[in-house]
Amino acid sequence: MIPVPQLFHRSTEQRVVAGVCGGLGERLAVDPNLVRLVFSVLALAGGAGIFLYLALWVHADRRHDWLSAALVACAGAALLFTLGFSGPAVLGATLILAGLAVVLVRGGSIRQGGTLPVPGIALLLAGAVVFLSHSGATGSFVAPGAIAGALVLVVGPWLWRLTAERNERIRLQERAAVAARVHDSVLQTLALVQRHADDPGRIAALARRQERELRRWLYGSFSDASTVMGALDDAADDVERLHGVAIEIASAGDAPLDDRAGELVLAAREAMTNAAKFAGVSEIAVYAEAGPDALAIFVRDRGSGFDRDAVDPSRRGIAESIEGRMARVGGAATIVSAPGEGTEVVLRLPQKVAP
Amino acid sequence: MKRVFLVDDHELFRSGVRGELAGSVDVVGEAGSVSEAVPLILELDPDVVLLDVHLPDGGGEAVIARVAPERPGVKFLALSVSDAAEDVVGVIRAGARGYVTKTISRDDLAAAVERVAAGDAVFSPRLAGFVLDAFRDGEPIGDAELDELTPREREVLQLIARGYRYKEIAARLHLSTKTVEAHVSSVLRKLQLTSRHELSRWAHERRLI
Repeated sequence: MIPVPQLFHRSTEQRVVAGVCGGLGERLAVDPNLVRLVFSVLALAGGAGIFLYLALWVHADRRHDWLSAALVACAGAALLFTLGFSGPAVLGATLILAGLAVVLVRGGSIRQGGTLPVPGIALLLAGAVVFLSHSGATGSFVAPGAIAGALVLVVGPWLWRLTAERNERIRLQERAAVAARVHDSVLQTLALVQRHADDPGRIAALARRQERELRRWLYGSFSDASTVMGALDDAADDVERLHGVAIEIASAGDAPLDDRAGELVLAAREAMTNAAKFAGVSEIAVYAEAGPDALAIFVRDRGSGFDRDAVDPSRRGIAESIEGRMARVGGAATIVSAPGEGTEVVLRLPQKVAP
Repeated sequence: MKRVFLVDDHELFRSGVRGELAGSVDVVGEAGSVSEAVPLILELDPDVVLLDVHLPDGGGEAVIARVAPERPGVKFLALSVSDAAEDVVGVIRAGARGYVTKTISRDDLAAAVERVAAGDAVFSPRLAGFVLDAFRDGEPIGDAELDELTPREREVLQLIARGYRYKEIAARLHLSTKTVEAHVSSVLRKLQLTSRHELSRWAHERRLI
């Protein structure tokens, strides 16, 4: 005889007689009381339920598979006898039993995340249909309505539990994600703030950085660097960190980050760096706009300003990194500044390269 | 001195603002929730209510909805750390006369209160960006006058987004400051009245994860 794998364990918590119904309930993720109800109904069918219970008890204790098999056979015989040996009813009952066996042996689970025992459930349903459509003719067992009612009783709470369990699981997962996030970011920052309590500049920078990071996560804006606004936000973040300034970004629209747009963002980064290093201000305003024909970025500070003609030609920052870079990708940079009036760098990139 | 009422659920933030504004405005009262704020505002009848977008029992919109019908003279200025466009635009559409971020400097905040009290609109650069985004291209669906910005309004908003102050915008566009203010108020009115589907599409795109 082929050894049958252990199908379930007797329950120690949900135990009335031997814990068989409780164990089955846990295994199938249904209320043990429903399993008990099914067994009780079966018990009325010539004692089939009792035989089946004993068979499963024997099986659960890993004793004598032949005894289990014999008891199952007794249960089947009792059931068939009660049904009056009506052919289709026997077929239906066989299908149901086969379905149950498949469900148990295949080890599927109706719990969230488990593999659904589809063939077993299909057999069960087919058996139920055959059984229901013919048991009325025998008239000796249970009226079809009662069977349908029992099915609703079995399946209803099962579905309800499934949904409730899934919601609970999702809630727990979300909670864990939030906790991990808070731990990695906010708590770390707070620890750093305590360590640098005597350095206001450092604390402001830490707070600023944490704020930006949290915003991104909460509002999902600029969430990745694959768009112009995302890359610009990353660049601003770097400049803030390196030079201890605050950069306020406002934006309208967005566009994918291709090579040319990448150069635009690099030019904007250079403009922000210049403002941070030379303007002598603590705040820089940046506005970026993705219009139908062009991308535009404006970097503005209210700092010392400068006279463009007085800049040493050997200083290559503006000429190379901003103007040259924009010209190479078919865009343009305009720098408006005067001593004492602040500076605005305007970068424009047409969507298509001019012929 | 303008009489100001503070609504924010963070005690620390309220005392910070109160301290900063001391001397430039008269803070007559404060509250930490919608249910606390409504009766106090009705009783005190302040010039301006500084209103947090997020409150534990309903948010800034709920305060405006319950106060505005009874005290049409009270002006609301939204003050928030929120970056979510639909939150900000929501409170503006409910009737706030402007929106500034909580990182605003003391002088700018005092100036914003004065401006709102005088009946003008106050847009932060970020809000100007949101609005330009909402009214970006596309055909008007209903009333064209409400669903589109004029080129001049667009220009003014763009300069606000770029960090220019009203006076600087006026100088740059060769307008009077009053005219700039009129343009911003007109944009505010359109934002409150438009039924433009772009608004909902755009708010949907930016919805929280």
